[in-house]
Amino acid sequence: MGKHEIRLRRQRLTARGSERFRNYGAVLKQYGEERRMKIITRIFTFIFLILALILVFIVVSRWEKKQTVPEKKTSQTEQVYEIKQVV
Amino acid sequence: MTEDEIRKEQAIIERSKNNPKAFGELYEKYFDRIFNYIFRQTDDEELTDDLCSQTFVNALNNLGKYEFRGFPFSAWLYKIAGNEVNKHYRKNKGKKIFSIEELKVRELVEQTAAGWDEELINRLIHYMNELPTDMIQVLELRFFEDKDFKEIAFILDMTESGAKMRTYRALDKLRTNFNLKVKYDG
Repeated sequence: MGKHEIRLRRQRLTARGSERFRNYGAVLKQYGEERRMKIITRIFTFIFLILALILVFIVVSRWEKKQTVPEKKTSQTEQVYEIKQVV
Repeated sequence: MTEDEIRKEQAIIERSKNNPKAFGELYEKYFDRIFNYIFRQTDDEELTDDLCSQTFVNALNNLGKYEFRGFPFSAWLYKIAGNEVNKHYRKNKGKKIFSIEELKVRELVEQTAAGWDEELINRLIHYMNELPTDMIQVLELRFFEDKDFKEIAFILDMTESGAKMRTYRALDKLRTNFNLKVKYDG
């Protein structure tokens, strides 16, 4: 058995049969809603990306600060060590 | 479709890119064909209504990307409609339905030896149920929508030779298994 089912219809499809479903106003309304949703989603995505970039910037700058503090300490101890060696 | 008709249609499409209301003219022109095409693959009027609306909404959404490639605009709508139907079946994991009008089948298939009775119809349906789904899709577009192979290839995203091969194979089987003569222009 295939992945489909064949059904035989006695009556033929007519234009009159589909007439009650014809509604371009509803299509336009749905299109407008989808467009609005698309714009809102884009705005939110843009805001989210900006926030993510700011967050990354803050994290990187904090990490850099943390990295520079112990470097200073080691350089001081190195200096003391060097002085001691000279003495 | 004449060149003048194509030019007029292209003008409407260009207008519709800035003014969606202008697209109404194309909606009115193609609604019945697209509705029937979807209905043949669902056998459910309410579902067809939803999928048909979504087809035209998608067409409006992607009108900016549309470019004329030598096919009538309807081929693009058929392609979107087919994608919508496939999406529906993928989502619901149901068996794809092909609802075929008996009268149309009788028109297409001329009986030769055996009489056109219920048993023959049942055998024919059983045979079509055994065919691969993509083969049925090609047959549907060729015989129920009167599309040429170039257009079928575009709608189903396959090569023209692939579409021809599938049709010929199905028809050959039909001729040999049922001793039927199919009204077919090649």
